[in-house]
Amino acid sequence: MTTLYINEEEITVSAGTSILEACRSHGVDVPYFCYHPELSVAANCRMCLVEVEGWNKPAASCCTPVAEGMKIHTQTEAIKKDRQMVMEYLLINHPLDCPVCDEGGDCRLQDYAVAHGASHSRYVEAKRAATNHDLGPFVTTYMTRCIHCTRCVRFADEVAGTGDMGILNRSDHMSIAGIVEEACESELSGNLADICPVGALLDKPSHDVSRPWEMTHHQSTCTQCPNGCDINIESRGDEVMRIKPVEGSPEPWLCDRGRYVYDAFRSDNRILEPEVRQDGELLQATWDEAFDRAGDLLRGKRVGIIFSPYWSAEGLASIRLMRDAVFPDAKVAFDLHRRDMRPFAFEEGFSMTTQQIEDVEHVVILGSDLRQRLPLLMQRLRKRGNMGKPVSRIGAMNYRTNMSISSDAIIRPRDWPAVIARAMQQVSDLGQTAAGMDTWLAAVPDRHEAGKVLADSLMGETCALLVGEEIRSHVDAAALIHGLDLLMRACGHAEEGNDGRNLIPEGMNAQLLASAFGDIRTSAGDLFASASAGELDALVLIGSDPVGDGLFPSAAKAALSKVPLIQIGAIAGEIGNSAEVQLPAAAYSEVDGTFINMEGRIRVARQPIRSIGQARPLWKVMMRLAQALGADVPAVDMTELRDRMAAFAPELADVWKDKATEEVLVPVARNRDAEALPARLDSSFDLDVVSRYSMYREGMWARASDLLLAAGKLHALNDVIMHPETLAAKGLKEGEHTVRTFLGEHSCHIGVREDVSPGVLFVAKRGVAGDLSDVTAASIVGGQS
Amino acid sequence: MTIPSDPKQVKQICFDRIHIPNLTKLSVARENGAYAFLPTVLKEFDAGKIIDEVKTSGLRGRGGAGFPTGLKWSFVPRNTGKPTYLLCNADEGEPGTFKDRDIMRFDPHLLIEGMIMAGFALDVQDAYIYIRGEFLYETNVMHAAIEEAYEANLLGDNILGSGFSMHLTVHRGAGAYICGEETALIESLEGKPGRPRFKPPFPAVEGFYRCPTVVNNVETLATIPAILEHGGDWHAQIGEPNNTGCKIFSVSGHVNKPGNYEVPMGTSLRTLIEDYCGGLQHGSVPKVIIPGGSSTPWLLAEHYDAPLTYDGMIKAGSMLGSGAIIVMDETADLIAVTRRLAHFYAHESCGQCTPCREGTGWLERIMNRVEAGQGREEDMQVLNEAAAHMAGRTICALADGAAAPILSLLKHFPEEVRARLVENVA
Ligand SMILES: Cc1cc2nc3c(=O)[nH]c(=O)nc-3n(C[C@H](O)[C@H](O)[C@H](O)COP(=O)(O)O)c2cc1C
Ligand code: SF4
Ligand code: SF4
Ligand code: SF4
Ligand code: FES
Repeated sequence: MTTLYINEEEITVSAGTSILEACRSHGVDVPYFCYHPELSVAANCRMCLVEVEGWNKPAASCCTPVAEGMKIHTQTEAIKKDRQMVMEYLLINHPLDCPVCDEGGDCRLQDYAVAHGASHSRYVEAKRAATNHDLGPFVTTYMTRCIHCTRCVRFADEVAGTGDMGILNRSDHMSIAGIVEEACESELSGNLADICPVGALLDKPSHDVSRPWEMTHHQSTCTQCPNGCDINIESRGDEVMRIKPVEGSPEPWLCDRGRYVYDAFRSDNRILEPEVRQDGELLQATWDEAFDRAGDLLRGKRVGIIFSPYWSAEGLASIRLMRDAVFPDAKVAFDLHRRDMRPFAFEEGFSMTTQQIEDVEHVVILGSDLRQRLPLLMQRLRKRGNMGKPVSRIGAMNYRTNMSISSDAIIRPRDWPAVIARAMQQVSDLGQTAAGMDTWLAAVPDRHEAGKVLADSLMGETCALLVGEEIRSHVDAAALIHGLDLLMRACGHAEEGNDGRNLIPEGMNAQLLASAFGDIRTSAGDLFASASAGELDALVLIGSDPVGDGLFPSAAKAALSKVPLIQIGAIAGEIGNSAEVQLPAAAYSEVDGTFINMEGRIRVARQPIRSIGQARPLWKVMMRLAQALGADVPAVDMTELRDRMAAFAPELADVWKDKATEEVLVPVARNRDAEALPARLDSSFDLDVVSRYSMYREGMWARASDLLLAAGKLHALNDVIMHPETLAAKGLKEGEHTVRTFLGEHSCHIGVREDVSPGVLFVAKRGVAGDLSDVTAASIVGGQS
Repeated sequence: MTIPSDPKQVKQICFDRIHIPNLTKLSVARENGAYAFLPTVLKEFDAGKIIDEVKTSGLRGRGGAGFPTGLKWSFVPRNTGKPTYLLCNADEGEPGTFKDRDIMRFDPHLLIEGMIMAGFALDVQDAYIYIRGEFLYETNVMHAAIEEAYEANLLGDNILGSGFSMHLTVHRGAGAYICGEETALIESLEGKPGRPRFKPPFPAVEGFYRCPTVVNNVETLATIPAILEHGGDWHAQIGEPNNTGCKIFSVSGHVNKPGNYEVPMGTSLRTLIEDYCGGLQHGSVPKVIIPGGSSTPWLLAEHYDAPLTYDGMIKAGSMLGSGAIIVMDETADLIAVTRRLAHFYAHESCGQCTPCREGTGWLERIMNRVEAGQGREEDMQVLNEAAAHMAGRTICALADGAAAPILSLLKHFPEEVRARLVENVA
């Protein structure tokens, strides 16, 4: 610890802290431009100068470490003059076009010019010109306003990992540029406008439409992925203008998916009124008419319920209450990506916080395109990488991470048992084991070398296993997860607390879903099969799109040709075409509600934006539905609803009783007795099919967003890809081919890429390959095998 | 070597044998004492002793800042598990300076020998000479000399059977003045644009590829062989206390015999200019003397007798800098001079710090107007303030250098500026 004096006041900070950070942590205001708490120090703006007693010149506080007994002054006349001069230097080439600049009103340069600048400039020479750049769909540039702080360059290098921003030239010809035009590739690009302290980099979608002071701010939770970032929704009236990160929240950034999905709130795909199908067409109806029709289709019927994990906890609880009240025998499904419904040794959700994952000795990603799935967790791993900490990966593709992975291997999904077995073998050869491991090991005849990457990662004192969709949606997932659990035990990572086991969930609220629906849960695929087999009379769909997303689109379509669909939600999605009745429910931006993210972190949104159309919070729709079907209303208000729900997750009750959310984490479900041995997979198909997730196109919200769809086009890969050698071995080349699966034959264009595992057919789930999502294996017709 | 072992007799160190023809050839250099003492150093000296001798010698860096060389070497952490690098700064960009060039083109082996000794003291395996891009001829000379040194096992593995190995590589810069600043040099050598790093950390701790690194000027390193051969005490008795040894001065401007002159420290400006350089072209006393390269404040006729030492120059209000003495007699147009220097600094600023990036350009544009008779009274105050608030407020000292000529002009010759203002020209 170091003790020093700031403006005569004694303070103590940890050794090596910069003067600026010492000032910030003690509420002493020092102006700065180039410093950013999440970026490396550049020390180039020189706005942060302070006086240090005994020094013959001012010190740049951001890059000067504190020293014992140092006496710092931040408000002397000399320092004020220095700041005034730095402002004057900065403004000589600045256009001062505040009245037409989006940043105006929320601009560091403008604020400091008022606080620290002189009233007029003495600069009478010509101003410099600058070139603007194309930085992708979300960032627009006005480079004359750039103050060369290099925050954007450091962001691209350190946070995005794309390194596609840079500095050209020197002296006052120095300029910031996208290294390659149109190259801003990052899924985090929207943050550029936030970190630019001036109006040089601006948010493109909201450019020139509103001013900062017209905004109302609504704090909420992003539900576009399980990370559940805190978001600040900025609206003008009821219209969302943009979404920004919340200062002081665990993640300082937002991904482009969470940030730009907002145009879906007002898209044509929203369900805004109750609708009822008449003569093949969905027509607007009153609530009563719609409930009457729903009642006709559902009363006394055998029903399957499918819902999205993205509803608030209150919404989810109301689904359970409605089901218990009117369909006590109904099974529910809330996951469109799980094929194996046996209990997992560790269920969906994280045993660690993202901070703990950032800090552990070793992280290994198993079968996940993490940059697409959890872009902000990916950036945490990048941060680790920048500090020299290892991240390993095994998966069906060398998914792009924009960081250097310490060791990796590409495998086919059918190799997973052999990979885990190889890792077990390595651990076992060192004399370490766990009860049951030998039996598991004996069930697998093969060993796959990729297992070394896995075993090596688990050897340290601490590690984080990030288990992704390739395993979660595997037909033998329970066995694989059991194997991983045994392996972790054998490596000395006993089951307790934050024990390194993290199964990336499909969506939000995984912990609550497990406790509230574990007993009545089934797979969406099974529900569709039951419907097709005549075992169900109707399907109730609450906010998801099994035709547009997930692994069962063909099964869903088949089921819908047999039974009627009652759809409740905010977005119609592709499945909306099949609904008999549609009931509008409010979007996540429009509700008072509680959300749990993958870490178990709880967030309560309390300042919703007003819902549009006739949309009502889901819980009200559910209660009304229960009533329409003749039941007593299970909960008449939020208090009652929450009381009922506390049974499933007592932690929620603590938070509602205003316990600080930082102190509470909802734990992940464990099934200690879940034993599953890997089965022999005999397949007549020689290729494994892996579905590829795109953050711009997955999920009904994303597809209802024109902004994301447009960005998705820029980031699109071929729909179906394979390793060139796998095709070549059959005597085939890139081009049109016929693919055979259990569903029959499809014709599609197969592209090639070196970075997918040989033996794998990689399928972008949308587009022509949509139907291939249902399958796990395929063969190509023709060619030699 | 023929340098007298009596310190009182010593007149030159680096230039002692420079007049000998063909000294670039290893055989000739060896006949004249090159590498004669090296085996003794490698066999009988250790790191501690060498650093002690250099400390005792009082040698201060000849690149500009005058930092004590032995002290700098002693800051290098040992046994970090990382390599230590030695970088010779041969960028020689400071306007007026042309001394390192002569060492390299006439006596390259002196520099190589100094680097081997420094490298041995610092446990260096890889050393580099970062040479100014324009010095093509000198680069070729250095390459040839290094090749001969490798052939003679003076460089490379197991030098002269001592067990010490060091490799030496010449890297050509691309003509940017800023790459002479040691941290910009490091960035440039790493293959990046030459933009100075802020300090701390200092290069001694985190330099080239974030490993411990010593950066020394050519002349500094070329002084090492004499110090080790004759002893630190010997060197400490040459010149003046705290300002020991000899120093090469690159004298240019309105003198009759411009050129490089090595003299013992403490020699006065007058002696150097009158006795060595054949006096001034016009008049009996200079109008302005820039004593340490264009980045140092100007001295006037009244400082003609000031001693050429680090302390003496500070006392006179300037700095010894790189020892580049620019002499201007009464015919000099100081406004044109200042304008030209302002252009230099505006062109060479790396552009990262606000005051330097914006300030150098601003100063240049005002000076352009002033020189063209378009200046106004208020420009004088702006020049003064804009220059004064650049100095000491940036990552590197280029901004200080850019401010120096402007501040000197306004301090000493305000009337000359005023006479050019539009009010007075019209
Ligand atoms: C703008 C600028 C340019 C410099 N150029 C040179 C140069 O060309 N050669 C040099 O030796 N030192 C130069 N220096 C000084 C170096 O930063 C450094 O102090 C020196 O190389 C250290 O060597 P020394 O201790 O042997 O003097 C320059 C410094 C600045 C601020
Ligand atoms: S564009 Fe913005 S963030 Fe980037 S250097 Fe310029 S002012 Fe800084
Ligand atoms: S990382 Fe996930 S939760 Fe965060 S903004 Fe993106 S989609 Fe939303
Ligand atoms: S002072 Fe000038 S040259 Fe030095 S780092 Fe700053 S901008 Fe670059
Ligand atoms: S914040 Fe310190 S120099 Fe920019």
